[in-house]
Amino acid sequence: MNGLGRSPLSRRTLLGRVGAGFPALALIDLLSSDGFFKAHAAAPEGLLAEREPHFAARAKHVVFLFMNGAPSQVDTFDPKPALTKYDGKPYQGDLTVGSNNRPIGHLMQSPFEFSEHGSSGLEISSIFPNIARHADDLCVIRSLYTDTAAHASGCIQMNTGSVVIGKPSLGSWLSYGLGTESQDLPSFVVMTDPRGGPIGSASNWSAGFMPAAYQGTLFRSGGSPLLNLEAPEGISDRTQRRSLDMLQELNALHQDGHGGDSELAARIHSYELAYRMQTTAAEAVDLEAESPRTREMYGLDEALTEDFGRKCLITRRLLERGVRFVQLYSGGGHIEDTWDGHVDCIANHTLHAGETDRPIGALMTDLKRTGLWDETLLVWGGEFGRTPTSEGLDKPGRDHDWHGFSMWLAGAGVRGGQAIGATDELGFKAVEDPWHVSDLHATILHLMGLDHERLTYFYQGLDQRLTGVRGEVIYRALA
Amino acid sequence: MPFDPRPDRAQLPNYRGNEDRDVARLYSVIQVGRGRDIAATVRTALIAFALAPLHLPAEAPEFERDIRPLFESHCHACHGSELQQGEFRLDLKERALRGGGSGVAAIVPGDSAGSLLYRYVAGLGETRMPPLEPFLSAEEVSRIRRWIDAGARWPESGLATDADEEEGMFEQGRAHWAFQPVARPSPPEIRDGHLADLARNPIDAFVIAKLAERSWTPSPAASPRQLLRRVHLDLAGLPPTIEEQDAFLRNPTDAQLDAVIEDLLSRPTYGERWGRHWLDFVRYADTNGYERDAIKPSVWRYRDYVVRSFNADKRFDRFAIEQIAGDELPDVSPETLIATGFHRLGPWDDEPADPLTDRYDQLDDMVRTTSEVFLALTVGCARCHNHKFEPLTAKDYYSLTAVFAPLERPQTGRNELLRPIGRRSELDAIEVRDRKVRGIEEAIEAVRARARAGFLRSGRSALPPRAVKAFQTPADRRDQVQVSIVKEFQRKLDAELEAAMPDGARSRLSALEERICELHAETPTRDSAYILHEPEGRPDASHLLIRGKASSPGPEVVPATPNILPFRARFSAWAPGDRTTRRRLALARWIASPENPLTARVIVNRVWQFHFGEGIVRTPSDFGLMGEPPTHPELLDWLASWFVECDWSLKALHRLIMSSSTYRMSKGWNAGYGAEDPAARLLWRVPYRRLEVEAIRDSILAASGRLNTEMFGPSMYPYVPPAALEGSSDPDKIWKVFDEEEASRRTIYALVKRSLIVPMLEVLDLCDTTKSSPIRKNTAVPTQALTLFNGEFVNRQARHFAQRILERVPEDRAAQIELAFRLALARPPTQRESNSLLAFLEREERDGGGGEGARANALAQLGRVIFNANEFAYAD
Repeated sequence: MNGLGRSPLSRRTLLGRVGAGFPALALIDLLSSDGFFKAHAAAPEGLLAEREPHFAARAKHVVFLFMNGAPSQVDTFDPKPALTKYDGKPYQGDLTVGSNNRPIGHLMQSPFEFSEHGSSGLEISSIFPNIARHADDLCVIRSLYTDTAAHASGCIQMNTGSVVIGKPSLGSWLSYGLGTESQDLPSFVVMTDPRGGPIGSASNWSAGFMPAAYQGTLFRSGGSPLLNLEAPEGISDRTQRRSLDMLQELNALHQDGHGGDSELAARIHSYELAYRMQTTAAEAVDLEAESPRTREMYGLDEALTEDFGRKCLITRRLLERGVRFVQLYSGGGHIEDTWDGHVDCIANHTLHAGETDRPIGALMTDLKRTGLWDETLLVWGGEFGRTPTSEGLDKPGRDHDWHGFSMWLAGAGVRGGQAIGATDELGFKAVEDPWHVSDLHATILHLMGLDHERLTYFYQGLDQRLTGVRGEVIYRALA
Repeated sequence: MPFDPRPDRAQLPNYRGNEDRDVARLYSVIQVGRGRDIAATVRTALIAFALAPLHLPAEAPEFERDIRPLFESHCHACHGSELQQGEFRLDLKERALRGGGSGVAAIVPGDSAGSLLYRYVAGLGETRMPPLEPFLSAEEVSRIRRWIDAGARWPESGLATDADEEEGMFEQGRAHWAFQPVARPSPPEIRDGHLADLARNPIDAFVIAKLAERSWTPSPAASPRQLLRRVHLDLAGLPPTIEEQDAFLRNPTDAQLDAVIEDLLSRPTYGERWGRHWLDFVRYADTNGYERDAIKPSVWRYRDYVVRSFNADKRFDRFAIEQIAGDELPDVSPETLIATGFHRLGPWDDEPADPLTDRYDQLDDMVRTTSEVFLALTVGCARCHNHKFEPLTAKDYYSLTAVFAPLERPQTGRNELLRPIGRRSELDAIEVRDRKVRGIEEAIEAVRARARAGFLRSGRSALPPRAVKAFQTPADRRDQVQVSIVKEFQRKLDAELEAAMPDGARSRLSALEERICELHAETPTRDSAYILHEPEGRPDASHLLIRGKASSPGPEVVPATPNILPFRARFSAWAPGDRTTRRRLALARWIASPENPLTARVIVNRVWQFHFGEGIVRTPSDFGLMGEPPTHPELLDWLASWFVECDWSLKALHRLIMSSSTYRMSKGWNAGYGAEDPAARLLWRVPYRRLEVEAIRDSILAASGRLNTEMFGPSMYPYVPPAALEGSSDPDKIWKVFDEEEASRRTIYALVKRSLIVPMLEVLDLCDTTKSSPIRKNTAVPTQALTLFNGEFVNRQARHFAQRILERVPEDRAAQIELAFRLALARPPTQRESNSLLAFLEREERDGGGGEGARANALAQLGRVIFNANEFAYAD
């Protein structure tokens, strides 16, 4: 065998070995030895260099509005008149409902009124007056289901397709498949709730078995957005630049004897990128640059909506700068700090919808205004749904329901103004056109121009997929 | 080749662009086709597959999409590769058309009425198929009818199910290099006198001979300083001290370097360095992952066991046996029991969606880890169906699963329990004690049950009548609402009962409880560990799972090693009185046998990889058909057989490798060779590979003078910035308060929390903590630069470094620079470096306003620069 031939595994090897250099290497001038790359064109292809999709993409960006803790379908986007009729009656079906062996109570009607919106007449509960203004853009999927009743595995499945930890998340797959337009910002940004992250924490935006470059980067909505973005305390800008120059000079001298080593070169380049990021990332979250009217539209003037409003506004700024995937978490920590309304689902949903409805409505309006609407896919939902029964016998809480729940898509490539699929009469289980989480993933990838069966990553002897062995594109959701 | 998810179509001349079947045919041709290039060709075929057009719904049933899944889910269990009931199999076209033992054609294309298959599934005669649930729906039956009537189009070869194709793969497998017995080739003779002089040992003979085929020569030897730093980083993960540098440089000969290596191998730092590599393979972490992501109690004792085993140069065969079956050894001891923590290191969900599936996930974790770590076989891919690219079947997979199936996870509800450890006699005594305790516990429950029934009958309970009724209903006859009520009121009833317990029952209970306490006092559990447990008794039968579904058990399987390997383990049948099944012991002895073709090759390759950056086989956990073939097959075999002869001694192997002139080559670039062989597959040089984050962090601590060398024990918590805790669901309680002294211990002792990896470790490519990880990824992304340049750790250590320098050299800047270089990089600066740095320090000091503070700050910047330098992160 020719030991020098191009390895059949070179793609894999390359992914494992070479860092995120970028096509336009502004590096040569840093190096004292000229003709550094001449001999071997070994400039590393970046892990995050922008790549062509499999077919024409409908969307270029995804905003995933993650309602952490699991919103109740029958209180949001899945009206169930029968629940009113049977309110207070015991549930006699044979579904396993609830979680953790908690007692289940009686059927409980929604305290929120549903009404028809837009020319489509899509029914939406009264807790989302602002989102409802965009009813004709929403494609509500009322028949989703997952494989688990637990938050950790539920969040992890919604994000990675699998209930078992260790798989790359949706954002990682998109970063891997498409790269990023933005050279100075991460491709996959996550913003969590000030009350805490989702259960399972970083497993939710992990790159799993892919290189760390594809994992979600936590952005904070206030202060310095990225970990270690700023120079250490007491270090002036001048010292910062001077130390970096000194470092690169030492690196260049070290490089002299090792001309062809692309690995060393990639690391040198990463320091320059990091330096640029210090400016671009800070600028991306600088909301002072926005007009007072815009800030108000997003709800930055009110304590209730300020945090999620900031996140939504930052999201628009990140999209403008080419970030591929932004995930926003509403709710963090446990139980009532999230949408996990075990105790009092009414108060819970009133609070969390109140925090997010106006900012999300504003984001939709703003995306339309800026033209980003046509290239951005919005996804709204949690890790599963909630039972139409109360939890326990005498309190207005609802337990977990993974047999059927609602999410919505909107934006680029989505046929709005419709609800597809249905749960049973009471809202427990998806019975008409049931769609699994993996189908949702296949659909999101499809809108991004990727075929979920062809987007594979070789690991542990197998071409791994986001959708595993499942997944079917929900064509009815597409425009 | 730059990555492109949509490969260039021009590379694929056979691609016609619109028919799956062509691609499938191409695949089959390749599959049975050639020799060693199968990995490449299969991969090409896979790419071709990836180009297949998107499926859109079509009118006539299409075999792969509409029919095969039906056969797979309803028929293959009895009429597939494992079983052929009635001599009929429906997974191969030819056999399916021909029919079974009756001699009647099962499928007559174009004539459903005349096709036995259709008559059976439609229930048109006496025989109906499938005989048991799940039956086919009306639509599915009609789909089969339409498919047959439309001509029963069945593409010539689907994925690896055609008989020829499957047979071809097994034929390939039988001839595959890694499955052949390990040979003992003679080192080649080097004719060229100059080259022959370079060879210090047989390794060099193999490497140089291969270079000589191209008239290439090895890179010259690295400088003594480079070599000294290289061996220190390789064996200790720390740079040499100034004293060590001086001692070696007084007499920097090859023999002296051999002595340095010997010294490093005898230091405890060796186990800390190489033990960490082992922890990568075994998916070590301190927590279980998922919602609670709780600390696994005393799991660190496994980590310490690994460090101690490396330091003791435990025979590798013994090391393997202890981890796989340390509880089944005749000389069982606390040490061998702790070793079996190996099986319990994986993540596990304490609130699983489906307990049965979860059980198989846990077994999968054990099968995959064991087979990848020791055998470099990707058996795990055969969980749902026969491996598509390797001669490994689902039966092989489930036969291995049966080896681990008797293991149980000690837990009560969500709480994990430890198991007692000790010598045989101690364990036996505890076993006797526990049997007695279980008997007493049953008696206690019986007393309580009687009292509860009497109490409920008496009408004294304050619970609502519907609750009393629910409790009085036998558990298996309660309806949904009653089940809920029981859950809700259990505690209240327990409290009521406690207060109303009749005196007789009460004194009986306290006597029984006291007896339990006595038993524990008589035979205390002296020590316990985080391990799994195999209970006594006949093991349950194991089954192959159809399509990997826990709910679809297929034929029974018995423990066995993969069929493709002619050398097999011997599993004995269970007999009454057996403490355990000894299945794992049989597997372990098979793995640790000199006759096993994989084990020795796999471990010598791993050791090679950590010395050279790449293994001789560059897919170190995949020695199958899809893995890369060895770059130096004879060398690999020579090393493997030599290693076994040297009593599986890893230290002997290090000595041998590190004394070769191949190891001692420089990493310098050669434009000519580099153009042809940039990855140095022929070993014309030693390639660069960034140090693991542990070695970088530990080296910084060593240079700053703050390294805390305390070994072993519970894990420490490195500094984590508050901002990094924001993504956690419990930001306030997730991490311990920073204790610098503790946090300055070596990184192997840092807590690995699966849901919150210390950001510095994570960003610098710590391995995947959920699965066996053979190679550290080696990326260069800006967040790494931000972490090392701006992060708390490096800047704190840079200040300590500055203090350390100032204490020894208060004034002289040039001497300070020299000291900094020697501490951190184990060499003095060049004149040019020194000049630049002098100017740098001067400017920094001046801008800082002069004085002692400014001087310390400037030196801290010097430290920051050096700790970030490429030279610091790479061994030259």
